[in-house]
Amino acid sequence: MSSVTQIAPTPVAPVVTWPRSRKRLRKAGWNVLALAVLIVMVFPVYWMVSTAFKPGHKILSYTPQWFPTQPTLGNFTDAVHQPFFWHAVKNSVIVTSVVVVLSLVLAFLAALALAKFRFYGRKPFIVVILGVQMVPLAALIIPLYITMARLKEVDRLSGVIVLYLTFVLPFAVWTLRGFLLGVPKELEESAMVDGCTRFGAFVRILLPLVGPGLVATSIFAFIQAWNEFIIAYVFLHTPERQTLMVWLASFTTLRGTDWGPLMAGATLCALPVVVFFLLVQRRIAFGLTAGAVKG
Amino acid sequence: MAELEFNHVSKVYGADTPAVRDLNLRVGEGEFVVLVGPSGCGKTTALRMVAGLEEITSGEIRIGDRVVNDLAPRERDIAMVFQNYALYPHKSVYDNLAFGLRMRKVSKAEQRRRVEEIARKLGLADMLQRRPAQLSGGQRQRVAMGRAIVREPKAFLMDEPLSNLDAKLRVQMRAEIARIQQALKVTTLYVTHDQVEAMTMGDRVAVMRDGVLQQVDTPQRLYDAPGNLFVASFVGSPPMNLFEATVEQDGSRLVFGDAQLELPADVLSERPALRAYAGRRVAVGIRPEEVREASGWDGARVRGRVLLVEALGAEQLVHIEIAATPLERADLVDAVAADPGPSLGVEDLERSVTLLGRFDRHLLLTPGEAVEVAIDPRLLHFFDLETGLAVPTVDVPVAAGVVA
Repeated sequence: MSSVTQIAPTPVAPVVTWPRSRKRLRKAGWNVLALAVLIVMVFPVYWMVSTAFKPGHKILSYTPQWFPTQPTLGNFTDAVHQPFFWHAVKNSVIVTSVVVVLSLVLAFLAALALAKFRFYGRKPFIVVILGVQMVPLAALIIPLYITMARLKEVDRLSGVIVLYLTFVLPFAVWTLRGFLLGVPKELEESAMVDGCTRFGAFVRILLPLVGPGLVATSIFAFIQAWNEFIIAYVFLHTPERQTLMVWLASFTTLRGTDWGPLMAGATLCALPVVVFFLLVQRRIAFGLTAGAVKG
Repeated sequence: MAELEFNHVSKVYGADTPAVRDLNLRVGEGEFVVLVGPSGCGKTTALRMVAGLEEITSGEIRIGDRVVNDLAPRERDIAMVFQNYALYPHKSVYDNLAFGLRMRKVSKAEQRRRVEEIARKLGLADMLQRRPAQLSGGQRQRVAMGRAIVREPKAFLMDEPLSNLDAKLRVQMRAEIARIQQALKVTTLYVTHDQVEAMTMGDRVAVMRDGVLQQVDTPQRLYDAPGNLFVASFVGSPPMNLFEATVEQDGSRLVFGDAQLELPADVLSERPALRAYAGRRVAVGIRPEEVREASGWDGARVRGRVLLVEALGAEQLVHIEIAATPLERADLVDAVAADPGPSLGVEDLERSVTLLGRFDRHLLLTPGEAVEVAIDPRLLHFFDLETGLAVPTVDVPVAAGVVA
């Protein structure tokens, strides 16, 4: 389920000039290391996908099968026909889209306040935003459960949405604030002199310029909301109200784990994240503000 | 087009950080006024108050016959050119130019006509579809100007629009902006810290320091009759030579170091107030181009020693150390012009001043050489040591808008 991240170690520039061959050897060493890291990162994803296509008896064999020699779609049909699959899909889509949209709107406005206005307590607020992200989720689960239970928000999607927002917003606000700070204030001022209201300047000038930031934030919110397991598992009991990640866990029963359909289901669950990323990644064009002011 | 007026305008940041103090300034219709001063003197704040980007603590600002204190920037009908151009990076040159028109609901056809006309005039016609990032510094500067012009506003406000350009381009754009302003006859308030820019571009120049307006006048009169020590030291490059001297008891001679200058009767009759300084110290100033080599001069000579010769091509700038007392009140002059103090190895001169002289390039001078310079008392500027104010002359009783 982990998204593939490319890790390219930046080689340290040697201070002394090495002989050519040693320099090359050094470079090769870094490349081998990078390749090893890549394999470690990619292999689980590959194993998930390939297992999804293997028939049951090939999955649990003593000699590992590296490639699905007799690929089958049986696991996928099994997974899709598991009870509550479509309920889970619907719930995940609702939770994720609401979290993405709400977090973008709220985070943009909050970041705007933090980046562009001066108010009493702004600095402590910024520090607190960073601080709350340091608290481990597991430590909060029980107090959160009690609170939400009192508010009668347990086993409801709205409760989970609120919880996700509280975890997504700090990071989103922090990121967007950075993007907003990168836009010179003269651009807004110029727009205001040119005939915009303050709000107009936000919408016409600031919003397009922080587009890459909004995209980055939405990807983060999407991944968080779509992939989250612990909160959903703890707060959503009724099968009809569970999200895809909780539904995936239902493949593990007392009698054992049904690996084939589980891997097929996991592959299906990973797809939207990949698709979403591919859709929006073009918009992450950094350096959009280049040329606004003298560089 | 309209005139622009500051009426007792003050700006205080926070509880007690004054940026502009009691500013009174009028920019006439179609006039080009330059606000100049060292950094932090409040000139940009003053400009931003006109634009509506900064609130006014007290006083009032008028554009035309409207008091604009409480109007939003967009309601003031002014255009502003920012130091860093502030072009919209996500919009093409065309959209940058048209933005203000679009905001003012000008028809599409009219927008196109005006943008294309301006683009042609500014030599931007070929790059209307480009993004600001694809333009050179000079082109960006022109787009920023064009964006201001195309709106046909009541007034232009320019905040150091040339300071991001390299020296050559700056000289070129300086002339271009002045030319555009003359052609359009739009009221313009221009802020700069560069006194050369101020002198060359402005119909009138307003010198500011520490939030206080020092003097407003035409560039030439500012140069010829600076109202106080600060203006004297700030305007002109290289700056005016300033040092202390004593007026003798009978008021007929000026003494500094071992030099004694006769004060001719016409100097005294031109500055009656100078008699009051008899027996007292006074600050005197002389422009570098008025410092002459003494051969052929029959007046009093001042002995000195050449410290440094800077060849400028057409002329040479000579640093000459003479015996005189530097100004004690360094706070009255521009920091850049303050005397650096006596140099090393001049034991025989108890206190010395470096006199800058602009000499003909054919004069052969070498560092270390002893020279004699001629100082014509008629060309001297006199200032009060306490207040820094110029000793008033008959034709300039008190220089316009001078502040102590």
